[in-house]
Amino acid sequence: MLEQIALWFSYALVLYAAIGLLFAVAFVLVGVNRVDPAAPGSKPGFRVMILPGVAALWPLMLLRWAGGKQPPVERSAHRRGSAG
Amino acid sequence: MSAGYQAVLWNRQKKRYDLTILAGILLYIGLFVGLGAALRPEATPETLIIRAFGTLALLMLHVILSVGPLARLDRRFLPLLYNRRHLGVSMFLCALVHGAFSMIQFHALGDVNPLVSLLAGNPQYASISAFPFQTLGFVALGILFLMAATSHDFWLANLSAPVWKALHMLVYVAYLLLVLHVALGILQTERNLVLIGLLVGGFGWIVTLHLVAGFREKPGDAPHRGDVIDGYLHACAVADIKDKRARIVCISGERVAIFRNGDTISAVSNACQHQNGPLGEGRIVDGCITCPWHGYQYEPETGASPPPFTEKIPTFNVRVVSGEVYVDPEPNPAGQRAEPAPIRGSS
Ligand code: HEM
Ligand code: FES
Repeated sequence: MLEQIALWFSYALVLYAAIGLLFAVAFVLVGVNRVDPAAPGSKPGFRVMILPGVAALWPLMLLRWAGGKQPPVERSAHRRGSAG
Repeated sequence: MSAGYQAVLWNRQKKRYDLTILAGILLYIGLFVGLGAALRPEATPETLIIRAFGTLALLMLHVILSVGPLARLDRRFLPLLYNRRHLGVSMFLCALVHGAFSMIQFHALGDVNPLVSLLAGNPQYASISAFPFQTLGFVALGILFLMAATSHDFWLANLSAPVWKALHMLVYVAYLLLVLHVALGILQTERNLVLIGLLVGGFGWIVTLHLVAGFREKPGDAPHRGDVIDGYLHACAVADIKDKRARIVCISGERVAIFRNGDTISAVSNACQHQNGPLGEGRIVDGCITCPWHGYQYEPETGASPPPFTEKIPTFNVRVVSGEVYVDPEPNPAGQRAEPAPIRGSS
């Protein structure tokens, strides 16, 4: 029983990571320039550096890419208060 | 600041800091393995490497967890705080060496899938003395990976600061898992008294330090009360503010940093757009409010970062009357110019 769960878990993990890695390569080359205005023109070093995180959080970054989202600005009391 | 991303924003101080980290790691591993081999000839090199990197990673984690509260208690620790992320990534890499060697040594040599061997090879999850402590290390390593992988500023901006912070608060979960990983592991391997003593001492140190710093932090956040003139709230006296420095006052639900810039007073929201660093604890350098955490800069009168940077924070209208500073509690939109008030203002 425990062994079965562990086996399925290990397959799921490998599958998730494999999809993540493939997605991450496309994201750091293309997608990142669409979702973050500070990204276009940045060097390979930056792109390699965010690759592991994109591979790990790929569903999240896929949604942002698909939705054409820009980085959010935090809503603090002062920012809300000024409606700016 | 975010006008194009770089892999790492290097400067001389950071280079020195990273070289110190690297030298420390090499020294520790060298001493550990060297002494281990001399004192315990029966230990295999793999065992020594596993133990050297495991203990080093845990030691580094203690330093990382101490830096925040220490910096709150004494400003001299601030430089360590700014570069904490590099220490974090180095710590993860050391933990990874430990975890990878353990996996190879104990779980990858048979014909069972290594992950299955790790998670289910020892099924005694209901036992304390025989608990599969490796699973705890595995989960903790996963957390440390997520934190290291999202340490770049890109993630701070794209996950938003609250989500990023929540993610990085998981370090405390990882720490607890690791304390258990080591404690339960010691029960099963050699009952090393020195390591037990260090573990308990380290845990006590971290808890005490957080409690002390937490108590210091509390006061000062009550909403500010003062006289009101024309809707402007009395905040402090001009004489209370040193030149190029600020006073922090809580107005409209958050802290406001009131800066003195030579002969004028300007006020901005205290939270840095980068990571909510306390701008009011910084200084005006080259005409710009400079965040004490990582050096983002804002013009005092507009709350905007100087071009080409694009960060903006809310500003506040201020007046000076007879040497006293009054602040309009209504924040201006982020980046909107507020006329600086001359300190020899109207009377
Ligand atoms: C996949 C993850 C991990 C695995 C499989 C694992 C495995 C092990 C094993 C087998 C031991 C006993 C070694 C021995 O006594 O010879 C051990 C001990 C230890 N581990 Fe881990 N570990 C993992 C993650 C971590 C992490 C992330 C840390 C700390 C950041 C850590 C810190 C330690 C420490 C301090 C010891 C005690 C060293 C000693 O026995 O002298 N481990 N681990
Ligand atoms: S919080 Fe990082 S520079 Fe202000």
